[in-house]
Amino acid sequence: MKEKQDGNENGNKETQTQKGERKKERKKKERKKKERKKERKKEKTERKKERLCRVKNGRKGGKSEPIRVLVTGAAGQIAYSLLFSIAKGDVFGKDQRSSPLTRRTWPSTTWTVAILVGSMPRKEGMERKDLLKANVAIFKSQGAALEKYAKKTVKVLVVGNPANTNCLIAAKSAPSIPKENFSCLTRLDHNRARSQVAMRCGVPATHVKNVIIWGNHSSTQYPDVHHCLVNMSGSELACFEAVKDDAWLNGEFIATVQQRGAAVIKARKLSSAMSAAKAICDHMRDIWMGTAEGEFISMGVYSSGNAYGVPEDLIYSFPVQIKDKSWKIVEGLTINPFSKSKMEATAEELIDERDTAVSFLGV
Amino acid sequence: MAEPIRVVVTGAAGQIAYSLLYSIAKGDVFGKDQPIILILLDIPPMLPVLDGVVMELQDCALPLLREVIPTDKVEVGFKDIDAAILVGSMPRKEGMERKDLLKANVAIFKTQGTALDKYAKKTVKVLVVGNPANTNCLIASKSAPSIPKENFSCLTRLDHNRASSQVAMRCGVSSDKVKNVIIWGNHSSTQYPDVHHAKVNVHGSEMAAYDAVKDESWLRGDFISTVQQRGAAVIKARKLSSAMSAAKAICDHMRDIWFGTKEGEFISMGVNATGNTYGIPEDLIYSFPVEIKNKTWKMVDGLSINDFSRAKMDATAAELVEERDTALAFLSQ
Repeated sequence: MKEKQDGNENGNKETQTQKGERKKERKKKERKKKERKKERKKEKTERKKERLCRVKNGRKGGKSEPIRVLVTGAAGQIAYSLLFSIAKGDVFGKDQRSSPLTRRTWPSTTWTVAILVGSMPRKEGMERKDLLKANVAIFKSQGAALEKYAKKTVKVLVVGNPANTNCLIAAKSAPSIPKENFSCLTRLDHNRARSQVAMRCGVPATHVKNVIIWGNHSSTQYPDVHHCLVNMSGSELACFEAVKDDAWLNGEFIATVQQRGAAVIKARKLSSAMSAAKAICDHMRDIWMGTAEGEFISMGVYSSGNAYGVPEDLIYSFPVQIKDKSWKIVEGLTINPFSKSKMEATAEELIDERDTAVSFLGV
Repeated sequence: MAEPIRVVVTGAAGQIAYSLLYSIAKGDVFGKDQPIILILLDIPPMLPVLDGVVMELQDCALPLLREVIPTDKVEVGFKDIDAAILVGSMPRKEGMERKDLLKANVAIFKTQGTALDKYAKKTVKVLVVGNPANTNCLIASKSAPSIPKENFSCLTRLDHNRASSQVAMRCGVSSDKVKNVIIWGNHSSTQYPDVHHAKVNVHGSEMAAYDAVKDESWLRGDFISTVQQRGAAVIKARKLSSAMSAAKAICDHMRDIWFGTKEGEFISMGVNATGNTYGIPEDLIYSFPVEIKNKTWKMVDGLSINDFSRAKMDATAAELVEERDTALAFLSQ
């Protein structure tokens, strides 16, 4: 019987250490292989959940860079209303062509825009804490995916509720993407506030500008019209002058805007997909094209550095102006005690949400 | 800015209207400078849902939307209207015979036609979407004798768009590079998608569709059945009918009526067959290739029809004749 020789590939006799090294190397390779397999499986499941909408940036003559727009919750009601508008050119401009929706290449693409509509909806018997826990998990993984696959210049709009806190979690899970690139949707509330004032004054909604939504996209939001202007028969009036009903503006108006979402669900038996999709388009388009001179809009943005005494490290809705795809909080607006208390109440709710969510994040 | 036009959409609380109303209010159909008064008509049980739709349209803060009027009354719904999009109809329920469906819808479209006759402007353009679209359109038209028959049409633009899109995907081009497909006949499974006169723009040069596709058996086989059955395929996948694409087709149809078709291009519409030069029986609403100018459509004449096409065009005509006769029998009751 031939003696079995201990040896490496070169046929030389191996020392115990060399043998040990080879074993280590082999185990390392196997481990890496397993990890890659796990990674690929995860990516496959992620791909199943998301759908890619590619919007071509069509400039005449030259070669065009496609902007890749990610929409999550793409099989849902809001996306059904939204995708068509995006594909038509309503958001990124009419000179951009859209290709058919494809379900493709997730890792090799880099996202320019992400609209995160999908989230865990509140089910019967669900506590607020359970809702937060479920959504922290979702937005943590989406933030991590953005970190990995998106361009660092990606603009992220979070719609899925609780929007502000989901946005914060996503931002925290994507540390190399600037926090300014993350925002959440309060434009629907903003549009609702405009529309209420417009109907009260008998003018089209586009004659009302500079309403503000402060705070959380929830029932504690504060629709503020102290700086709002209404174009009545050619002349621009302060909202309070145009409406001439302080009691309504400080009372029912606020409640109507805060509870509009619930009112639509009650009537339609479905949530407000159409108007939400419109607000998403408005929000994204203003980021892309900028706001008009003298006009500001409402966006949930990172509060750190704000001049209104709102606590740091929150996603809080502020009045902003946008230029070169960058927002800037409108400063120097006078805040009376009535407004101050409302702004503080909604901030408190956000702190509570944040602390609960972050505690789940650490787990 | 122009005087607002009055547009009514029936079945306004439903899925198709939900996608459609937004596009209309945005200016996609009647133009960015045309203010609109939108009237939403549906049946009494849907009034609460309609209120929700009204709220949403307000919340969209759209500059062209002057007023939104929800109603369940035809005298309010059709008063002085410039355009009517009749989406609402009786859907087919489990166990329902085709005859029952026709009977129910004859009643609905007779009422709506009568109301159009009584309350609408005589220049009103009426687009019937609710199925069976062709026959419902014919009934409405017959019930509105003082409104010119040419003002009535039914939607086959969705099938037309589907056909264009299938050819485009087959050729690897975007669907705006495909033109002049034709949908002949009934908006049903007997429709005939015909690409004998279609043109495809491949790399800048325009070719006949048959030359661009280079697969006659597909064009005479799978392509036709795919387009015919696309509606069912969407329902099977979504568990809901094709609201988004239907709404888009409605917008295309109405917009082409309003602004006309481009030179050298024609589109498909279900129109009154009387006076046609293709040997289709008179007194039907049948889908033809048409060109439009000054809000008036005109059938494209002189297109050569081979035996293959002839057989298919006749088959769908036969179905429409039968539907019409059944419907008229109910009408006279």
